[in-house]
Amino acid sequence: MAVAKLEQLSKSVVQGPSLATGAIPTQDWMDVPVVFKPGNFAYQAKVEKVEYLNSQKDLNFPNAREWSPENDDWKLPEDWKEIILHGLKERLDKFRSLKIFMDCCVRCGACADKCHFFLGTGDPKNMPVMRAELLRSIYRNDFTLAGKLMGKMAGAREMTVGVLKEWFMYSYQCTECRRCSVFCPYGIDTAEVTMMLRELLHLVGVGINWILEPASNSNRTGNHMGLQPHTFKDNVDFLAEDVENLTGVKINHSFNRKGAEVLFITPSADVFAEPGLYTAMGYLALFEEIGLDYTWSTYASEGGNFGLFTNNELMKKLNGKMYAEAKRLGVKYIIGGECGHMWRVVHQYMDTMNGPADFLEVPKSSITGTVFNNAASTKMVHISEFTADLIRHNKIKLDPSRNSHVKATFHDSCNPARAMGLLDEPRYILDHVLDNWVEMPENTIREQTFCCGSGTGLNTDEIMELRMRAGLPRANAVKHVIDKYGVNTLSCVCAIDRATLTSLMNYWNPGCDVCGVSELVGNALVMKGENRQELTEGLRTLV
Amino acid sequence: MGIHLTEGKVQVMELDEAFRWYREKIIDKWVGYALETYESSSFFKNEKDKFANPVGGNTREAFSRLYTKLTLGADPGEFVAPLEQVMRIRAIQAFRPSQAVGPIHAIKHITREILEKNKETRHLVVQLYDFEFAVDLAVLAAFDLYMQCREQLYQVRIKEIKTGSFILTDSRCPSNLLKTDALEPITVLQDI
Repeated sequence: MAVAKLEQLSKSVVQGPSLATGAIPTQDWMDVPVVFKPGNFAYQAKVEKVEYLNSQKDLNFPNAREWSPENDDWKLPEDWKEIILHGLKERLDKFRSLKIFMDCCVRCGACADKCHFFLGTGDPKNMPVMRAELLRSIYRNDFTLAGKLMGKMAGAREMTVGVLKEWFMYSYQCTECRRCSVFCPYGIDTAEVTMMLRELLHLVGVGINWILEPASNSNRTGNHMGLQPHTFKDNVDFLAEDVENLTGVKINHSFNRKGAEVLFITPSADVFAEPGLYTAMGYLALFEEIGLDYTWSTYASEGGNFGLFTNNELMKKLNGKMYAEAKRLGVKYIIGGECGHMWRVVHQYMDTMNGPADFLEVPKSSITGTVFNNAASTKMVHISEFTADLIRHNKIKLDPSRNSHVKATFHDSCNPARAMGLLDEPRYILDHVLDNWVEMPENTIREQTFCCGSGTGLNTDEIMELRMRAGLPRANAVKHVIDKYGVNTLSCVCAIDRATLTSLMNYWNPGCDVCGVSELVGNALVMKGENRQELTEGLRTLV
Repeated sequence: MGIHLTEGKVQVMELDEAFRWYREKIIDKWVGYALETYESSSFFKNEKDKFANPVGGNTREAFSRLYTKLTLGADPGEFVAPLEQVMRIRAIQAFRPSQAVGPIHAIKHITREILEKNKETRHLVVQLYDFEFAVDLAVLAAFDLYMQCREQLYQVRIKEIKTGSFILTDSRCPSNLLKTDALEPITVLQDI
């Protein structure tokens, strides 16, 4: 029996213009329009950024214009519908996976409750199956017989401006983390459906600035930050000096050096922004200690690839820069730093787009002799694989007591975990650089890891609330190990994580630091000839 | 205290006994009410694993803890920890302030309704003043927490901008201070 006063209370406070509008949907999901208001969408791309990208060879970012998601009129090109449907047809023909993903979903619901956006918002359109349905309904309508004959009864609907707006809302409430795909019995990669939605939106000039500006910066100066070569070099030099001040060991690093054995590429955030800086200091210390013959590049000065978040052409182009530079410098192979989506591009797309990198050699560690056959085609080794191999062969001396200020847990960054299977190497490293560390609950780590909530270019401050919602499942698991074990540090192997988890912790679990695994390696590393100060906070110590 | 027999042979309870007796029922209804403020309420209500269902799990845990405090006449300061567990979540979701705080009220009505419905407890309704006053205090504390969380959210946003923990766009990149001509970077790049 209903409680009368409660019903009144519900009416006065629960009903209202909100996404959370009460228990029982009164309309079919197809009929619920999206509402854009400050805080629930990322800002649209600036005209000049879209124009710049469109002017570049092999790139296609047409229909640049002033528009705003908040306005009714998005000033779409007149033939926007033809553009979208033609774009969809083109992609269905080009990507066999898309055609299969459109056809084979049986709507079993296994993915439905696995998405961090769904878990944080309760919005049914954030169930991965529903997000895919936003595209699938159009596919059915225009590309399947059942949809053409039976329309809505077969789950089909016509492409309208309302649908397009829905695509924009929900393809930017997905971080392409692929947790849902782990649970799909058919192996549907829902992230690729989001990727297609974003590609199609770019055809009509609909994109967000936080992605297109870093992407255009990357195309222009080589990195997301738009740092010019001399600035990039200066920053790395500063970090090398910091390492020297702390450890007494001079760092001998180089830039753009032809004939080096290894090209090292990491996200530019590592050389520019806290707390990634300390991770970069860890790389510098480690490479110095083992005497690695390597070079940084001011051209391939970015591991991240925001092209992945826009369309396949831009992804290919930005990925190509790393390999073009490796070829120009004549290195044998590439070591990649702690980046997330760089590894997804390298492991899942690079070979088809730019590979195989025959001009490079299958990576072989000159220190241990280990051949990294797992990277036989891409010729690119993850820093954690490389470091774990060094530890395994006793090539570096580590003193875990130097990390005694750290009580850590480990966040499996989505892309290294799910897109390349890097699960055990970081853990092996942590076992050797820390006296002890703890795991978060089983259904929140390894393949089932929860996203930071701000990946795929969603780490922009205007959607901070949305990010906090999406990051709730991750933060919730971190809170558990803080309460239970007194954890004070969340380690990870991704630059976006290092930035976004910092904000996430600042809201959900203040006092919990975020660090890269290589920072912890740098802290624990006993270097030859060191004259180390008392570093109570490791590489973060101010001296 | 326990159950007493009255002249009419009807078993009646004392208030603290009723709070214990109906604990699960009241909490279930209370949690259900709070979770129905979400569109996908059935999942939030049914999945019991706190890590697979952070909203539902934390709401249930927080309300269970809070129920104990409210019914045992605890110091209002003790309401804060369980309230924070749920308000921290609701403060960043798509609720208006009244919607975010609203469900805390609900326990008043739920408890009253359950006690009224049963012969054994009907007489206790008039004794609910202290309990309902505690709920009022909890609601006020919830509003304070809501505001604190909102302020913290904005602080996080400001901190992110100021510390440049992730600066990617023109407007905020300090390296822009170096730029005198927007075209300069292209020229520099071509020289490498």
